[in-house]
Amino acid sequence: MSGQAGDFIKDWQVLAQQSWDAWLRQLQPQPAAPPPAGSEALERTLAGLKGCFDWMQGVAAAGASQPGADWQTLLRAWAGSGNQPFTQAFNGIDNAAAQGFVQQWQAWLQSMQTSGFSMPGAMNNGPVPAFGLHREQLMQQQELAAAIQAALEANARYQELIQRANAQGLERLQARLAQRDATSPPIESLKALYDLWVDAAEEAYAEIALSEEFRAAYGEMVNTQMRVRRLQQHQTGQLCRELGLPTREEVSSLGERLQQLRRDLRKQGSGAAADEILALRREVAALKRELAALAAAGPAGPKPKTTAKRAAAKAPARGKSSSASSPRKR
Amino acid sequence: MDTPLHLDPTRLMQEIGTFQRKLSAGMGQLRGMSEPGYANTPRELVYAEDKLKLWHMQGDRAPTARTPTLIVYALVNTVWMTDLQPDRSLVRNLLAQGEDVYLIDWGYPDGADRWLTLDDYLNGYLDRCVDAVRERHGLDAINLLGICQGGAFSLCYSAMHPDKVKNLVTMVTPVDFQTPDNMLSHWCRELDADLFVDTLGNVPAMLMNWVYLTLKPVRLNQQKYVGLVDILDKPVELENFLRMERWIFDSPDQAGEAFRQFIKDFYQGNKLVKGGLVIGGREVDLGLLNQPVLNIYAEQDHLVPPDASRALGRRVGSTDYTELAFKGGHIGIYVSGRAQREVPPAIHQWLRARD
Repeated sequence: MSGQAGDFIKDWQVLAQQSWDAWLRQLQPQPAAPPPAGSEALERTLAGLKGCFDWMQGVAAAGASQPGADWQTLLRAWAGSGNQPFTQAFNGIDNAAAQGFVQQWQAWLQSMQTSGFSMPGAMNNGPVPAFGLHREQLMQQQELAAAIQAALEANARYQELIQRANAQGLERLQARLAQRDATSPPIESLKALYDLWVDAAEEAYAEIALSEEFRAAYGEMVNTQMRVRRLQQHQTGQLCRELGLPTREEVSSLGERLQQLRRDLRKQGSGAAADEILALRREVAALKRELAALAAAGPAGPKPKTTAKRAAAKAPARGKSSSASSPRKR
Repeated sequence: MDTPLHLDPTRLMQEIGTFQRKLSAGMGQLRGMSEPGYANTPRELVYAEDKLKLWHMQGDRAPTARTPTLIVYALVNTVWMTDLQPDRSLVRNLLAQGEDVYLIDWGYPDGADRWLTLDDYLNGYLDRCVDAVRERHGLDAINLLGICQGGAFSLCYSAMHPDKVKNLVTMVTPVDFQTPDNMLSHWCRELDADLFVDTLGNVPAMLMNWVYLTLKPVRLNQQKYVGLVDILDKPVELENFLRMERWIFDSPDQAGEAFRQFIKDFYQGNKLVKGGLVIGGREVDLGLLNQPVLNIYAEQDHLVPPDASRALGRRVGSTDYTELAFKGGHIGIYVSGRAQREVPPAIHQWLRARD
């Protein structure tokens, strides 16, 4: 490495560290100041920027370490220095938005150990026959250990595909650079190169993400994680029962019954109202028929039937003579 | 040999220095900013139940449309995308055109909503909202405007309650859930939905957001924030950016049972297209949909690919079917400048001709 290149890397690293320190200072809470509304966005912003910054740093360092080298050598040097920019971007989401499975598992293991539970060595040594008073507990722990192992293996297969997307993204970037002809404007900034890489990386990832292999790996990763969580919930439930605490299953079961009750009540309510409306319609129709018969018979006609009398009696604050017209007005 | 890369170390240092200066100057502004609000178009609460709220949106002038339009949004994210900010509001633009607009805010489900099914949502909540609007206006039928998953819900509802829907507008609505370019569908095909929901109960919004970010991981998690550096010194653009971030990440959990059904019947079973979809004991047959339908899709939609939406044209029974392609993406169809100019007038003209 030439002295000039070494100076550049040194300057670069100092600058990068200064930048990063400055950004972090922005995140420090100000005394006696309310938490900024945009702090979450700020954290996400900084995480994204750090990824981009690392990317740029990697390219710049590769360029400086091989002055005069052609661009293909430069990119190879960058890729060969352990850079996994796509994987880093991906893991950045994991850290920012959802706790990684391995961290979750470690937290669980720690909490179980502090609670007095111990995991058998089944994860490393395979299952052992269980018997005696603690047979069920041992069986459950072995089942959990096997499930964790399966989940870690599934996660490794998934991560392998993410790394493949990383590698293919770099290959695509090289191919795109190679395709540029004399009329294409040269790339003179890290930002322009970065944007080109993002396009290439996303394309490579999309192709892999739509493959049958990815579909299977994704499903397996999710399903095995859920299996582990389910077994963890089961063990936690047992612990709660021993302590006399309500379990998740019990609360959930109550919720299910309550929801069904609400449906049944509503159904009954609407059913009863419908029956009442139907009965009223029939009564109104009967009244209309009787009124029509009365009108046809004239003043000397037959007296109203019982139904009409009942309706007239129910009419509030009206004389008997008004009963005939009240249903129509309504 | 000619090289496509002209990366001069001195210039790179300048680039980094400029980047750092812009960032340092802008960060102070970011720190001092308050949470950006949505458009908050004036509205009246006309019906509420559990966490659901039915709003009647108020324009500057009285509506000219005789038939009101009810916006049915998805259960994922919030309906305020349709009323994001004063100059980017589907709701405001529809009101300005003379439409009478209602919208449903589904709220944020918690453990008490774990057992809500699609039947509860469609033949329960949505049906009661439709009845409330019909009653207020003394009408037998109203217009529905369904968005994304809410569009799929509107299709199902219209098929189950044809007498209550006069006209149906669907926006970025998936119908064929298994087009080859549908990444979300591809990923959840092998998902054990029963184990997933039995384990998680309600599906956390954080997990949903993680899935959406992994559709385009670098672009959505990294490049977007690099672009932010260029607008840190532009208060209006910065506020718009933060408002959008708020909307993206301020999203509700998903009620477990409804999620289970949606994954199994729509994504895995593709029953809206293949048939056999039953909700609350009622069969949903798009072939029986005979209302006028306006289907609007986005040409660059990475969540609901155009083919997933266009499939409606081949399935719907209505003889009055119109398709409208929008040059933009799943979100741009509500918030871009082009969307403000093109989408609300198109919806209004189509509805007006059928009012």
